Amino acid sequence: MAFIEIENLRYRYPKTERLALQGISLSIEKGSFLGIIGPNGAGKSTLGSAIIGLVPQFYKGAYGGHVSVGGKDAATVPVSEIARSVGLVFQNPFNQLSGAKDRVYDEVCFGMQNFGIPSDEMRRRADETLELMGISAFRDRNPFDLSGGQMQRVAIASILVLRPEVIILDEPTSQLDPAGSEEVFRAVEKLTESGITIIMIEQKIDKIAEYSDRILLMDEGRAIAIGTPDEILSRPDLEEHGIIPPAPARISRALSFALPDGTFPATQEAAVTLMEGRVGFRKDEKKGEAQASAEELLRTEDLSFSYTEGNEVLHGISLAFDGRPTAIIGQNGAGKTTLAKLMKGLLKPVSGRILLRGRDIAGNTAASLAGDIGYVFQNPDDQIFKAKVADEVMFGPLNIGMSEKEARKKAMEALEMVHLASAADRNPYDLDLHERKMVALASVIAMETSVLILDEPTIAQDDRGKTMISGIIKELAARVTLVISILHDMDLVASSFRRVIAMAHGRVLADGSPEEVFSKEEVLSEAGLELPHTAALAKKLGAEDILLSDASFLAAAFRV
Amino acid sequence: MRSISLYRDNGTWLCRVHPFTKLAYILAVILVPLLLGSLWAYAAAIVLDICILISGKSLRRARALIIFSFTIIVTIFLIRGLFDADNITPAFSLGPVVFYQEGLMKALRTGAVIINMLLSFSILVLTSKPEDIADELERHGFSPRLSYVIASVFSIIPQMMGTMDTITDAQRSRGMETEGKLSQRMKAFIPLITPVVTTSLINTRERAIALEVRGFGSKGKRSYLSPWKKHRGDRAMTIVLLLSIAAAAAWRLASWLS
Ligand SMILES: Nc1ncnc2c1ncn2[C@@H]1O[C@H](COP(=O)(O)OP(=O)(O)O)[C@@H](O)[C@H]1O
Ligand SMILES: [Mg+2]
Repeated sequence: MAFIEIENLRYRYPKTERLALQGISLSIEKGSFLGIIGPNGAGKSTLGSAIIGLVPQFYKGAYGGHVSVGGKDAATVPVSEIARSVGLVFQNPFNQLSGAKDRVYDEVCFGMQNFGIPSDEMRRRADETLELMGISAFRDRNPFDLSGGQMQRVAIASILVLRPEVIILDEPTSQLDPAGSEEVFRAVEKLTESGITIIMIEQKIDKIAEYSDRILLMDEGRAIAIGTPDEILSRPDLEEHGIIPPAPARISRALSFALPDGTFPATQEAAVTLMEGRVGFRKDEKKGEAQASAEELLRTEDLSFSYTEGNEVLHGISLAFDGRPTAIIGQNGAGKTTLAKLMKGLLKPVSGRILLRGRDIAGNTAASLAGDIGYVFQNPDDQIFKAKVADEVMFGPLNIGMSEKEARKKAMEALEMVHLASAADRNPYDLDLHERKMVALASVIAMETSVLILDEPTIAQDDRGKTMISGIIKELAARVTLVISILHDMDLVASSFRRVIAMAHGRVLADGSPEEVFSKEEVLSEAGLELPHTAALAKKLGAEDILLSDASFLAAAFRV
Repeated sequence: MRSISLYRDNGTWLCRVHPFTKLAYILAVILVPLLLGSLWAYAAAIVLDICILISGKSLRRARALIIFSFTIIVTIFLIRGLFDADNITPAFSLGPVVFYQEGLMKALRTGAVIINMLLSFSILVLTSKPEDIADELERHGFSPRLSYVIASVFSIIPQMMGTMDTITDAQRSRGMETEGKLSQRMKAFIPLITPVVTTSLINTRERAIALEVRGFGSKGKRSYLSPWKKHRGDRAMTIVLLLSIAAAAAWRLASWLS
C-alpha cells in the first residue's frame, strides 16, 4: 500500500450545491514529487485539505470515500495527529505566522512545543532547518518584519521542523514577487534533495514541469490525468482544462520536434537539448519601435518622494504617458507602488509635479480624482463591503456623480467584461478570491476613468484569468483609456503591453517597447528581472532578436 | 508591521518582578480601597502606583494612558456634576451652569477608580513582556488557548490597523470622501469598517487552520524551549499583597457586624 491512498473521494462544502471533489482515486508513494495543476476551483486545495484531514474535520460538509495517510484515516484521526506526518503550507505567508512569537526562532519552534518535543531536540531541529531554508541570519528578527519570500520560508521551516513525511505546498509563491518566488523555489529544490515526499499545487507551470516526478491534472473536482510532466503537458486537451502548456512544449509542438515517445519536452532544458542546432532564426530587419500615440494624458515632472525624512524612495521621476498600455516592472522596493499612488493622489510628492491633461493635480484629494484616475488594489477584500456584487460595482460610479440608472448600466457592462454578469445578485463573499478580484476590477472599470492603474492584477489568477485580463487591457486601450499596470508576470507584459518601464531603486532604468526593454541585458539584471519564457527559449537556441510571442518566434524560426 | 506591545525592558527592578506578583498587586490595589471605601485609600493607592512607576522609570510611558483617562474623567465630572439625579447642594457655578456637590463627589470616586485601575494595569503592561505573561500562565496550567490570545493580540491588532489604511485608500480611490464634514465622515463609516471586519474574519480563519496543522489542538504534553525558572524571589511580596486584601475584607466584615 502506498503512503497516501485516496479511494473514490467525494466532498461537498457546507451550504454549497456542487461537489468540490467528485470521486478522486489516487495513490502517492513516499519520496516522490507530485505536482498538481488545474484551473481555479478545480478542487486542488480541497484535495490538499482532505489529505491532512481539514476536510472534513475543520470544514465539515458532506464526505464520501476514503483517505488513508500512513495507515491513519484522515476523516477521523484528529488533524493535529495527522499533522505529525503531513505538513501544509499555503499561499498567504502572513496568516501562517502564529503572531504569538516575536522571534523567528521561537516562531519555528511553536509547532514542536505543541507536540512536546524535548528542548534540546527542538534546538537541534530548529538550527538545522533554519540553515536548510537559508534563514539563519534572521533568527532573532521579528517574523512580521520580513519580506514575503522570507516569511514564506519561515512558514516552510515551521512545518519542516515537525519532520513530516509529506509536505503539501498549496501555491506557496502565488502572493510573492519574482525574487520572493525564486527564494521559495530554491528552498523547495533543497527539499527535493532531502527525500521528503512533496505535493505541490502551483500555477507556475514551468516550475512544476521542472520539479515534478509526476503531475496530476485536475478540473471540476475530477482527476483528469496523472503522468510524467512531458506526458501531461503534451496533452492536446490541456487548454480545454484551462492550462496553457509551457513555452517549450508549445514551440516544439509547433515546430514538430517530438521526443522519442511522441510527447513534447516540458522543460526549457529538455527543449534545448532536443532542438539545439536544428533550428535557425531569420533576422528581423524592421525592428518594432515604440511610437508614442498623439495625445498625452498624464505627466510626472521630476517627482521625488520619501516616507520618512532622509530616506528617498523615488528620485526625480519624469515620465509622460500617452494612450499606450504601459507596464511598470521591477523588484519589490523599486518604488512602483509608490509611483502609482502618487499619480493617484493617494500620496503627495515631496518635490516635483504631476499633471493630468496639463493640469497640476496637487490641490486634489484622491476622492476628487476618482472620476479621472482609477486604481485597482491588490486585495479585493480591502474594499468589498456591499452584500450584492452589483451594488459593490455601483459604489464608485455613484460616488463620482452618475445617476442610479447610468451607474447600473456601467456596472453591468463592467461585470460583463469580467464575465461575472451572472453573479450580479450574489453576495461577493460567496465568490472565490479570484472572482472577488474581478469584482474589484469591475468596480473601478465601471467608473470609466481615462486613466486606470492596476496593482498586480494577475496575482491569484489562473491561465484563464490571465487571458481574460489580457483581453480587458486590450479592450480598455481601444476605448482610449490609459492602462498603467504594475506587473511581475513577464509573459503578460510581453503579450499585452506596448510600453514597458523598468524600475529599480527609485529610478527608471529603461523605458520603451517590450522588445527594446527586454533586449537590455544590463537593465534586466540590475532590475532583477527575467526574460518572458518564449524569449528565453529563443535566446537559448541562438536567436538574436527578442522574440516575445509564439507568433514572432515561429515567424523567425525554421528547421535546419 | 510591528507589535504594539507597550513593554520595554529598561533594566529596572520592576521589569524583573514576576508577572503574577504584578497581577496580585493589581488585585490588591483595586480591591483594598474598594473594601475600605474611603477616598483617602484611593488617593494612597494612586500615590503608590505613581511611586512604583517612577522607581521603575516607566512613568513617562504611562503618560499617554493618563492623558487618555483624563479626557474620560473630565466628561464624567461634567455629566455627574451637572446632571446627576441626586444633585441638591450647589457647589459652584460657572456663569449660568451650576455644579452640584453630590454629583462631583460621585465623579471624584469614579475618576479615582479609573485612574487607579489604569495606573496599576500599566505597571504590568509596561514592564512585563506579553509572551512571558502568557508563558507563565500556561506553565501554571492555564489553557494554551488563553495564553495564545494574550501573546498574539499585541501583534494582530496592529495588523488590523495596517489594513485600515489600505482600506481607506481603496475607498477614497473610488471617490469616497473621508475628510471634511462630519456628515461625510459618518457616511464613510460602513465602507471602512465592513472590510476591516471581513478581512479579520478571513485572516483569523486562515490562521486557525495554520495553527491546527502545527499541532495547536494536540492533546499531548507540551514542551518549552527553555526550562522553567521557577520564580521564588517575589513570593514574599505576593503573599503580603494577598494578605492585605484579606485584611481589608476582614475589616469590612467586622465593621458590618459591629
Ligand atoms: N471554504 C469553502 N466553502 C465553500 N466552498 C468552497 C470553499 N473552498 C472552496 N470551495 C469551492 O470548492 C471548489 C474547489 O475549490 P478549491 O479546492 O479551492 O479549488 P482550487 O484550489 O483548485 O482552486 C470550488 O467550487 C470552490 O468554490
Ligand atoms: Mg487553491
